[in-house]
Amino acid sequence: MNISIQASSRETTGPLLELNDVRTHFQTPRGLVRAVDGVSLTLDRGRSLGIVGESGSGKTILSRSIMGLLPPRGTIRRGSIRFEGREIGGLSRRAMRDVWGKEMAMIFQDPMTSLNPLMKIGAQIAEPLRLHLDMSRSDAWATAERLMNDVRIPAAGRRLRQYPHELSGGMRQRIMIAIAMACGPTLLLADEPTTALDVTVQAQILDLLGEQRRDRNMSLLLVTHDLGVVAGHTDDIGVMYGGKLVEMAPTAELFANMKMPYTEALLQSIPKLADASHTRLNVISGRPPDLVNPPVGCRFSPRCPYVQDRCRDEEPPLVPTVEDPRHTYACWYPVGSPEYHETKARRQREAEVAA
Amino acid sequence: MTTELASSTHGAAEVKPARKARHMGWMFGTAWLVVLSFCALFANQLPFIRTYDAKVKVAGQAKQYGFGPGWTAWLGTDNSSHDVFARSIYGARETLFIGIGATIIGLTVGGLLGVLGGYYRGWVDRAVSIIVDCLLAMPALLLALLLIQRTDQIKETITALGWLTRTEEITITLGILAIAPFARIVRAQTLGLRERDFVLAARSLGAKSRRVIWREIMPNLVPAMVTVAVTGLGILIAAEGTLAFLGLGVARPQTWGTMIDAARDDLSKAWWATIFPCLFLFLTVLSFNFIGDHLARKFDIREAAV
Repeated sequence: MNISIQASSRETTGPLLELNDVRTHFQTPRGLVRAVDGVSLTLDRGRSLGIVGESGSGKTILSRSIMGLLPPRGTIRRGSIRFEGREIGGLSRRAMRDVWGKEMAMIFQDPMTSLNPLMKIGAQIAEPLRLHLDMSRSDAWATAERLMNDVRIPAAGRRLRQYPHELSGGMRQRIMIAIAMACGPTLLLADEPTTALDVTVQAQILDLLGEQRRDRNMSLLLVTHDLGVVAGHTDDIGVMYGGKLVEMAPTAELFANMKMPYTEALLQSIPKLADASHTRLNVISGRPPDLVNPPVGCRFSPRCPYVQDRCRDEEPPLVPTVEDPRHTYACWYPVGSPEYHETKARRQREAEVAA
Repeated sequence: MTTELASSTHGAAEVKPARKARHMGWMFGTAWLVVLSFCALFANQLPFIRTYDAKVKVAGQAKQYGFGPGWTAWLGTDNSSHDVFARSIYGARETLFIGIGATIIGLTVGGLLGVLGGYYRGWVDRAVSIIVDCLLAMPALLLALLLIQRTDQIKETITALGWLTRTEEITITLGILAIAPFARIVRAQTLGLRERDFVLAARSLGAKSRRVIWREIMPNLVPAMVTVAVTGLGILIAAEGTLAFLGLGVARPQTWGTMIDAARDDLSKAWWATIFPCLFLFLTVLSFNFIGDHLARKFDIREAAV
């Protein structure tokens, strides 16, 4: 069918999405909010990238910037977003409409609210097919049923005729994935796709996403606040803080050899099963940076346990590590540097004295 | 904990009769409207309803207010010895036609303005807001009087508009008055809906604005629209009564308003000719309000500016 023709005519390697110094700022009564402040990255075809960061780090706005789904008023967009070799950063909504759904699709956080409560499931899956591929109603519904099978929904034929409220959260997210994949996009953006779901369902949804991505040779940009979610499910991980990318590496390399104290703090804040009971949870003290008046120097400096004077004055650039050029980080005194060890040792002594 | 439990059970026991009363309200309203519309629709066929022009004569003579309420004429006769009950039923036809017609006009135009303003925002919204604010700023009664008089004048000069009956004139006038409140409510609802995730999701799949409005926004507006339409219908029927009372009614066939207007001077002689049409009007408006309230509770809609 249409979809398979589209898929086969596609290139299979090379960069799909290239961001260069993307900035998305919002004009608000409080001042200019620098939600995304100079992000550059490349996503190859068929690969998956996880963007991790806390609330307000700009990860959602980054994904919306790529999609071009930003409020039209008061938004300032700078930098270049190249998708399949063409610049889409400055395109109007009207022009983006042909890209949306067909070439890039988005999965939203809350499956409970992202389906129209008054439309049958089948109609909602069929909608993009009829819109972009000009399918007839019966063809679209047949394809919808196949897509439902692809996302492992049992009794697809019956489910097609049901309304969203008759389905569980996990099922609805599967439907959202089916809708997003309907027209065979090359890029799937998933904005916290599992946050609103039960922990047991989360893994299933992530596995489904990964499997469909491989089957259809899609690229995936997975945005999440949970380092654990991306750990096993994406090829690369980018860590965002205060609107900037502060570390990026292939997943295994990042976990083995993290450079940025923020990444380390994020990882340490995940409770471990092996910890004794009543162990205090590790938190990152302080608050996320004010994006209207970001700190001078490194944005993490006010909260960094290993901060030095230089961090407060000069902003560290994103540099590759010696061992792996794909691993980049933005820190003057990265994890493992002599200054890092020195500060860490001093902190420990202070803690002992205090105790 | 225990006190909380006790008070909550107590509260539940207290709530029950009130809920029952509310149920009775809308059930009564529905029953009244069903019976009334049935009688109005089949007035020509029903044996117990006299024809519109039939006179109830006293000893072969037509007599002003010849009968009080009783067996011969259930609700008495009016100043030209017509049966008040029959006239009230025929009046229901006219009154409901005006009310429903005006609601449809108001809801179509107001709904369209509201959806467009609420969805597109920007200059469209500002234009809609200005229109709505202007309409609301004008005293409704004065506007209605002016509109009707103007159309009367226009009808005199442009003979091509002769087909426009008084009933239609009043319907259109009331419809215009209904535009602003409907537009306001629909706009407010649309503002909420357009920010919902499923609208964003539909847009992110490449749906055009028109498609989003028709497929995503409009169906979700239906409960609110139905609710305000029902409440508005009651208000418009009362407004028609007011216009008729001021002498701008439909002379033939009479509406409830014109009936009241015609008989009110003789209230002391023949109370039935005024009071019974009033009662019809009152019960009908009350019914629409009960049903409107019920729908609003059911759909959880706050009545903003009705």
